[in-house]
Amino acid sequence: MPDGAEHRTFGKAGLGLVTVGALAATASVVAWSLASPSNDPVGAMVSRVGAGWERLTQWYAGNPVADRPNWSAMQVKLLDAQSDRGPDAMVRYGCGACHVIPGVAGARGTVGPSLAGFADRAYIAGILTNAPGNLQRWLIDPPLFAPDTAMPDMSVTEADAADMAAYLLSLTGAP
Amino acid sequence: MNGETTLGRFDTQTALVGAGTGAEMTLVLTVVMTVAAAVIFVAVMGVAWWAWRRETNVRPWWVWTGGVVVPVITLALLVVGSSLTLAAIGEVDEEPAVIEVTGHQYWWDVIHDPRDRSLRDANEIVLPVDQPVTLRLKSEDVIHSFWVPSISGKMDMIPGRTNALTVTATRIGRFRGQCAEFCGLSHPLMAFEVVVVSTENYAAYLDGLETEARDADTLQRTRGRDVFIEAGCPACHAIRGVAEGARIGPDLTRVGGRASLGAGMWAMNVGNLAGWIADVQDMKPGAQMPSYNHLSGPDLRAVAHYLESLK
Ligand code: HEC
Ligand code: HEC
Ligand SMILES: [Cu+2]
Repeated sequence: MPDGAEHRTFGKAGLGLVTVGALAATASVVAWSLASPSNDPVGAMVSRVGAGWERLTQWYAGNPVADRPNWSAMQVKLLDAQSDRGPDAMVRYGCGACHVIPGVAGARGTVGPSLAGFADRAYIAGILTNAPGNLQRWLIDPPLFAPDTAMPDMSVTEADAADMAAYLLSLTGAP
Repeated sequence: MNGETTLGRFDTQTALVGAGTGAEMTLVLTVVMTVAAAVIFVAVMGVAWWAWRRETNVRPWWVWTGGVVVPVITLALLVVGSSLTLAAIGEVDEEPAVIEVTGHQYWWDVIHDPRDRSLRDANEIVLPVDQPVTLRLKSEDVIHSFWVPSISGKMDMIPGRTNALTVTATRIGRFRGQCAEFCGLSHPLMAFEVVVVSTENYAAYLDGLETEARDADTLQRTRGRDVFIEAGCPACHAIRGVAEGARIGPDLTRVGGRASLGAGMWAMNVGNLAGWIADVQDMKPGAQMPSYNHLSGPDLRAVAHYLESLK
């Protein structure tokens, strides 16, 4: 026998034994639960998970807490956001005090990064992927994602955040 | 470009839509003088054309009338008319209220009723409608000039002197004012707002200036108040009930209640406040306040939220 062959033989036997054992265990659990419905560990587990899922979805659906943004509605709203309303909103919220933003009057701030060419950015603040919904969330509550950031929560409304996000995502070209 | 322009927050300023007796009378005077000058110009051109066509001889009485008598009468009328108007602008039936306004590079210190109650505010001048007010105008550093075109003519603010300008606002609303004498690097960014309110609202406003600043009622605002003190802001700024006495910068007791930040230039909101505190030298070059870019992010946000809550 060449070197190491017995190891392989033992290995195959071991695998076989494990497979047979697992099949036997499953079969016996199924047989047991079929035999005595009053003692049904699998069924109980399935229904417990099901109930938990149900509670989770109900909680999520029934619980857009008063001022917690409704993300799924926001995703939809972004579709009818108007990028041409973005610059006005940015002036109202004072974004220009901290950012250079092409096309926004007086936006020459150097506290934060320039937002020129923002559509080409891969990450928002290096934290969130640069997708419309994420950008809207960032604008509404930056400290939620970056607890130590200097960019404040400015009580931005969902609609304004959508307009500003749409505008920022229209900024292409070199930063 | 969208949004606000270099004119800042409030409308365009114009002397052509009056909102005060001074501006209204000056407007009438301007219109009368302009029309009169136009009539005279047309008449002179007509006579010149006539003389040129007819090749008439020189007539001495024409020279005397057209060159001396008519101009003297016209000028006399103008002098008397405009002097009477000027005198009428300052004339009031009742004892005017007094507001002291002191120009600083590049902001305005405001004290209502300086002799008696001495109530301080800054960068926003609240006036009662239809009531004469004497503005006592001073300067702390260089020459500034106080001008609210919709309400009145301008008046210089000269260091070491007190100039008086009596105005009566005739329309409730918000009107933009501007420093009208070059005073340094950020002179164009030295604006302010005049808010004309009803007599009752003016009384209520004055009472409000006697109370202490609003309490810090959230954890973040409490932190913001502590940051305000720890960072040394009270060396220049007063907030009644929190830190009193300093006069180098504007009183911040109701800063969040102003419509604008930085002397009439930016919208008052958390974003602009945070940007201002972190980098005022970028927003208003030469302002007598250092940029606080050494505050941590959360501290910067906290102090901005705290100031915004002071209404
Ligand atoms: C007080 C200053 C300040 C204000 C006001 C401010 N930001 Fe920011 N912003 C920052 C800073 C600082 C960062 C970098 C954040 C980080 O990495 O944590 C940032 C990051 C961002 C980013 C991500 C940039 C990138 O390169 O990934 C966007 C987008 C953004 N801000 C948009 C806005 C908009 C829109 C407004 C107005 C509603 C605004 N900001 C107001 C300071 C500010
Ligand atoms: C050395 C004095 C000085 C210090 C210290 C200082 N400031 Fe100022 N501050 C000023 C002056 C002067 C102005 C007016 C600037 C202008 O408009 O030209 C000002 C303006 C402001 C304004 C705008 C007020 C308005 O009505 O528009 C705010 C807000 C402000 N300061 C906040 C702060 C905070 C917060 C701190 C501490 C972190 C601080 N300042 C520290 C001098 C100071
Ligand atoms: Cu000036």
